[in-house]
Amino acid sequence: MKKLITVLFLIIGLVSFGQTTANPDIVCINATGEQYFVTNTPTSTYQWTITGGGGVLQTGQGTSLITVDWGSTPGLYPNAVTVVETTASGCVGSPVTLDVQVLELTLQPVSSFCLTDPTYTLSANISGGTFSGTGVIGNDFDPATAGVGTHVITYSFNGCTTTTNITVNSLPVTGPIQHY
Amino acid sequence: MKKLLFIFILLFSINSFSQCVGNQTSTITPAGPYLPGDIVTVNYTLHSFTQINVNWIHAFEINLGPGWLQNTIITSGNPGNPGGSMGAWIWDNQHTFPSGLNFGPGWRFVHAVVTDWGTNSTGPFNISFTVTVKQTCTAEDLSVAITVYGDCQTGGWFNGACCNDPAYNIYQGNVQVAPIVTSNINHY
Repeated sequence: MKKLITVLFLIIGLVSFGQTTANPDIVCINATGEQYFVTNTPTSTYQWTITGGGGVLQTGQGTSLITVDWGSTPGLYPNAVTVVETTASGCVGSPVTLDVQVLELTLQPVSSFCLTDPTYTLSANISGGTFSGTGVIGNDFDPATAGVGTHVITYSFNGCTTTTNITVNSLPVTGPIQHY
Repeated sequence: MKKLLFIFILLFSINSFSQCVGNQTSTITPAGPYLPGDIVTVNYTLHSFTQINVNWIHAFEINLGPGWLQNTIITSGNPGNPGGSMGAWIWDNQHTFPSGLNFGPGWRFVHAVVTDWGTNSTGPFNISFTVTVKQTCTAEDLSVAITVYGDCQTGGWFNGACCNDPAYNIYQGNVQVAPIVTSNINHY
């Protein structure tokens, strides 16, 4: 019974306070509608400030939940999100800030392959993500597995994605040797 | 008559620098600590006032820390004047006595014959009032004290006695201000 109560409190706590965001927070370039929030005190108001990263506060000023659109310039932006709480009696709290890393993923350019070429190790500007697509095995691209044609390769990291096309060309078909 | 008494006492030099204020008691309800907007009731009694060198009681000054809303004081009756001189207690938010003493807020006695004299009463005297804690964001001082003045301090009488009665402390504390704890910023 005691364990059950503990679990219930844990669940209620998670629902009430939500996830905890690591600092810096990582967002993708040109991300839209990104939601930021603090634990709401119904009688308080919240003044948010967005600085750097091309961030624009879209909705929610004055409340505990806002949406932000981020820009196209990657980089680390210290204190990019700031909130100051004011109580019903007009008392102003200390600013709470969050650094934001605006992330742009890029894949190393890949030339076309022939069907019989050996596997090729894919790489991106930020490691640790996941490659996917036809012919992708782990971090490698295998032309033979992919087959002839143009294939879309996707790289994902921390909710951001980027894609590139890889073409696998067929082998030449040479006819029999003729004698004039 | 008062001057004759003064001369008599001066000749014998009895207790010329003793305190006139006797036993003092008080209550403050509800008990602290206090939050912004709280209303408290203060009851104070001076059980006796000894008229050393014919020094008569003249005023009760209410000393409030800046955490109180001074303009919310609501008094309940005057201190009383059992067996005292003709005259009346009046409430004053500010009054400058002949001695230059800047008084207020509080009760001061206006003698019917010589306005700068106090009253011949020896008490007991009771004071009751309510006052409200200021809406504030800082832990401001909420001290409450009462200072009793004889007419030697106010300048109506000049015999040097009872000019050092200390203020009587009723409450010491600060406004309890809840800290504003904003959670970390989270990103869905």
